[in-house]
Amino acid sequence: MKRIAILAVAFALVLAACNGNSDATTTVPSGTDDTPPPAAMGDLLQTVIDRGSVICGVNEAVPGFGYTDADGNFSGFDIDYCRAVAAAVFGDAEAVTYRALTAQQRFTALQSGEIDVLIRNTTFTASRDGREGATFLTTTFYDGQGMMVRSDSGITSIDDMANLSVCVLSGTTTELNLAARFGDTPFTPLTFDNNDQLQAAFVAGQCDGWTSDKSQLAGVRTNFPESEGGPEALTILDETFSKEPLGPVVADGDSQWAQVVNWVVLATIQGEEWGLTSANVKDYDGDNNEIRRFLGLEVTTDEGTAVFDPGLGLPTDFAVQVISQVGNYGEIFDRNVGPSTPLGLQRGFNAQWTDGGLLYAPPYR
Amino acid sequence: MTTTTIPPSPKAPLHRPVSPSVWMKQNLFSTWYNSLLTVIFGVLIASVIVALIRYLVSIDTEIIRVNLKLYMTGRFPAEQLWRLWAGVFVTTAGVGLFARAIVRTAQMKATTAGLEFDRSTPWDIVRRFWPIGALVVFTLSFTQTITPSLLTLAAAAIGLAAYWLGGGLPAWIIRRSWLIPLVGTTAFYFVLVGYGGVGWDLWQGFFVNIVITIAGISLAFPLGIMLALGRRSSLPVVRYLSVTYIEILRGVPMITLLLFGAFALGFVIPGDVQFSLFLRLLVAITLFQSAYIAEVVRGGLQSVPRGQVEAGQSIGLSPWKTTRYIVLPQALRNMIPALVGQFISLYKDTTLVFIVGLLDLLRAAQVSTAQPEFFAQGLESVVLPFVALYFWAGSYVMSRESRRLERKLGVGVR
Amino acid sequence: MTGTEISTGTRSPLWRNVRVIRVALQVMAVVVVFGAIWILGTNLRDELIAKNLPTGFDFLNQPTGVTIADSSFKPSSPVWAALIAGMKNTFALTIVGIPLVTILGTLIGVARLSTNWLVAKAAAVYVETIRNIPPLLIILFVFNVVILPLPAPNDPATPLDWFVISNLKIVGPGFTSSPGAGILLIIVILALVAAVIVGRWRTRYSDQTGEHHHRMLWGLGVFAAIVLVGYVVTGRPVAFSLPVLEGRVITGGFGGLGSYFAVLAALVIYTASHVAEIIRGSILAVPRGQTEAANAIALTGFQRLRFVILPQAFRFALPPMINQYLNFTKNTSLAIAIGFAEITLVTFQLIGNGFPAPQLILLLMGAYLLFTLTISLIANVINRRLQLVTNR
Repeated sequence: MKRIAILAVAFALVLAACNGNSDATTTVPSGTDDTPPPAAMGDLLQTVIDRGSVICGVNEAVPGFGYTDADGNFSGFDIDYCRAVAAAVFGDAEAVTYRALTAQQRFTALQSGEIDVLIRNTTFTASRDGREGATFLTTTFYDGQGMMVRSDSGITSIDDMANLSVCVLSGTTTELNLAARFGDTPFTPLTFDNNDQLQAAFVAGQCDGWTSDKSQLAGVRTNFPESEGGPEALTILDETFSKEPLGPVVADGDSQWAQVVNWVVLATIQGEEWGLTSANVKDYDGDNNEIRRFLGLEVTTDEGTAVFDPGLGLPTDFAVQVISQVGNYGEIFDRNVGPSTPLGLQRGFNAQWTDGGLLYAPPYR
Repeated sequence: MTTTTIPPSPKAPLHRPVSPSVWMKQNLFSTWYNSLLTVIFGVLIASVIVALIRYLVSIDTEIIRVNLKLYMTGRFPAEQLWRLWAGVFVTTAGVGLFARAIVRTAQMKATTAGLEFDRSTPWDIVRRFWPIGALVVFTLSFTQTITPSLLTLAAAAIGLAAYWLGGGLPAWIIRRSWLIPLVGTTAFYFVLVGYGGVGWDLWQGFFVNIVITIAGISLAFPLGIMLALGRRSSLPVVRYLSVTYIEILRGVPMITLLLFGAFALGFVIPGDVQFSLFLRLLVAITLFQSAYIAEVVRGGLQSVPRGQVEAGQSIGLSPWKTTRYIVLPQALRNMIPALVGQFISLYKDTTLVFIVGLLDLLRAAQVSTAQPEFFAQGLESVVLPFVALYFWAGSYVMSRESRRLERKLGVGVR
Repeated sequence: MTGTEISTGTRSPLWRNVRVIRVALQVMAVVVVFGAIWILGTNLRDELIAKNLPTGFDFLNQPTGVTIADSSFKPSSPVWAALIAGMKNTFALTIVGIPLVTILGTLIGVARLSTNWLVAKAAAVYVETIRNIPPLLIILFVFNVVILPLPAPNDPATPLDWFVISNLKIVGPGFTSSPGAGILLIIVILALVAAVIVGRWRTRYSDQTGEHHHRMLWGLGVFAAIVLVGYVVTGRPVAFSLPVLEGRVITGGFGGLGSYFAVLAALVIYTASHVAEIIRGSILAVPRGQTEAANAIALTGFQRLRFVILPQAFRFALPPMINQYLNFTKNTSLAIAIGFAEITLVTFQLIGNGFPAPQLILLLMGAYLLFTLTISLIANVINRRLQLVTNR
């Protein structure tokens, strides 16, 4: 009995101590102005170069985006962007150390510095940008949340789904959007902490709907086994009920590293706009000065002949390395998620601005 | 390993062979309700056995054959697998040497005490450890090439050779037999990690379950001893601090500690030091286990009669020396069974790392049932029992060994 | 250590004075422990501030945005309400599980000692198999192999029209209550107290007069009479109800999510194997003389077990049983693997949605300590009562 009393008191003390901390800090107005800059300000690029590899936080279970096979080989759209960063920094696309992360762990890993960059189908939201200490960079994939149901269920819209059950992965924006979409309509949300168990529950009919990013749903649908009716047995509803811009994320506080990763993404987009592919980028010998600047080739102007260096901290030929070793945006897209892959996705929003899409790289000058 | 033969007590009934019909009358149909129970249970058991046979005949073990490497080692780089085999060789060699060292120690003790030494026959060993042997053979039956079987045979041969060579070890090593696991562990780590090997971030599959169990208990042990001594200290402050730590950690589930390791430990660690997930979980598990080990050690300390301490004091030993040379050796001997119990419990609990995203055996099983070629076929009923066998065999053998030790050491018998 | 405190007349130097050493050691311990806590604590705070994360507990009042299955919890409700909803689910597992574990474990433990060879062997196989398998694995197995293959919720099974069974939800007969139910509950509690008092009185009466006490009969009679009168007086506020299926909505009846039953069943199966061993050990620990004495006064096998062996065995069994109850409670956290929203899953959900992990994990630990300490407290009270009985 005495033991229990001691315990209770001890625990109360710990809680009180934590609250004390909060008092101490909340007196500082908003707490952000006075926060000391992280010690490693601007050092991450050097740290990465010294280490010899980029530590990239990725998904391991979404085919097409981030997936590992039994031998530990990573592949996918997001993985290719990790490789692009390594190609830009080291000239070697293989200089990547992958860290497979769960949805819950990704921001902790970023905040604690366990990873250099997070490329794990992560949605750009304001509170993540603000509250999670993360900096979101150029979106690599414009996705939207959808709902997948069985074709024979007769459901044609989310409004038909009152009182039904919906499977959702916990710790994702999907979960929040789902709650918001249903509002006051009663439904049963079934939250799982990994896709594998969720998939089993969906196949067993425990949930009537499965909500996730449409690209992921498309992947599941294509792979749906013939024994269960094949892809035809599933329907992805037309409604897209959220914007899901996915892109690389770095930790707050190191703008140089942020711009390095950002320009790697932009280089793939710019490369496609100019028709530079992994096959032809090394052979470029044209006289378009814009492209010559972009590829780090000598540019002759009135002031003489020089190689353009925008001062990003990257080698001047980084775009050549990225495009020759990994490819331009279109190549990365087609290789991992495009029409010829099991996912079979169309470009949609993810087309160049010249084709009516949202991909638009700022001028490289 | 010393036994004294007890003459059969005159009261003990002589074992008389009974005919099957008499046996059945006595054990199955002694009263009307016993007969009823026998019939009900007979039907029940028979139907379970029939269902089991049907199940075993019907299942398709293709998923296990394809994913065996994933189950055992996770996504360990294929070109580095030789390192794991080398590690297995180091382990069997170490186990062989260590076993011989223990046998020789027991032999020496028995000789000094003038007792006859009772050596376990190979048959005894087979009888005691058959589930593990059977499991190894069972696992190898799913391999697609002969290489793993040959390498396993080689490992077994190395173990036996080490046991034989252990006979020639100098006496000073035998007296310090703890050196063998220490050197063995170092060698194991070096073989896996040294010269561009595979760091523990990529240790996965069943391998990681084993590593966490052994590392968790070993690392928690010193901390546990300190806590137990603290709990029995005559200094009230030290006592209360130890009690608080032990009881708080024993009051929460291990998963909360794993969550702490996965999500919060990174914030608590000072400076820019970065721990990988594996290491953070290991720290969390060590903190958690030390509270339980402390209770095991406390039980061991309490089993040492007070007279022993007084005897130590009476010959003028300091409190520290009394603890070190008189209390701890006896306590350690007495707590071995409880320690094995804790080992089993951690072995089973290592599956929890799956929840925070480490690819252990159980998680690997789940991943395999979601692969495009296997998913939606109800293969959980094949894969989960398969995984259960690994935990069952290890826990069962250890729990039987612990009971055997308990009987031998006469724990609780005064 | 007290042996060195012999007064020798001359004062020993400060560093050899036992009292000084003792005080110094304790001060050192306090400094080391609290120093470490302080350093780690400030570290945590600094890191949180540097990463622009909240350091206090103010986030508890923010809306979560998440939903929890089978509860009235709304996305606009605050974080603390989500934690309470999670605790309710943990409680629902514990309160139902512990009695089940006790019953099943005792049955199996007694069965292991049965004179019937078949029964004893079957129980032994059960115990030796189940207790050597990780509980998490059993949960996954029950969920994937037993619950998920049940009919899907759009076409549930309705055996006898008393149950509605699907892999989403399992509902059986239950009670529905109307406004007077609260008063009836109070009446039931009062009736229980009255029954206990009557039972006590009968016992005393029996002790004095030597007549049979019939305390069960009396107690139950008093209880039933009061409850019946109360039921009628309060206007029959509670009614028996069967689950009714309308489309996908199940009204009436009593039940829970499929994942709830999966966790419950798996943990009962697992923990019962440990309880069975405890019961067996405790029965074996009852001295043989007790059995012989019971036989000598010609008690039947059942009477021997009920009045002589089990009461004593339970006394031996109680402390380790409490441990198993605590283990059961702690193992409910494994429900996270199959998506049942108990407190650990809710915490996990919140961490994933951007609420600060260190604080949430601290609260989670506190919640479990609350559970385990409450169980310890209740168990300790019972334990003491049992000890008193033996001393009388």
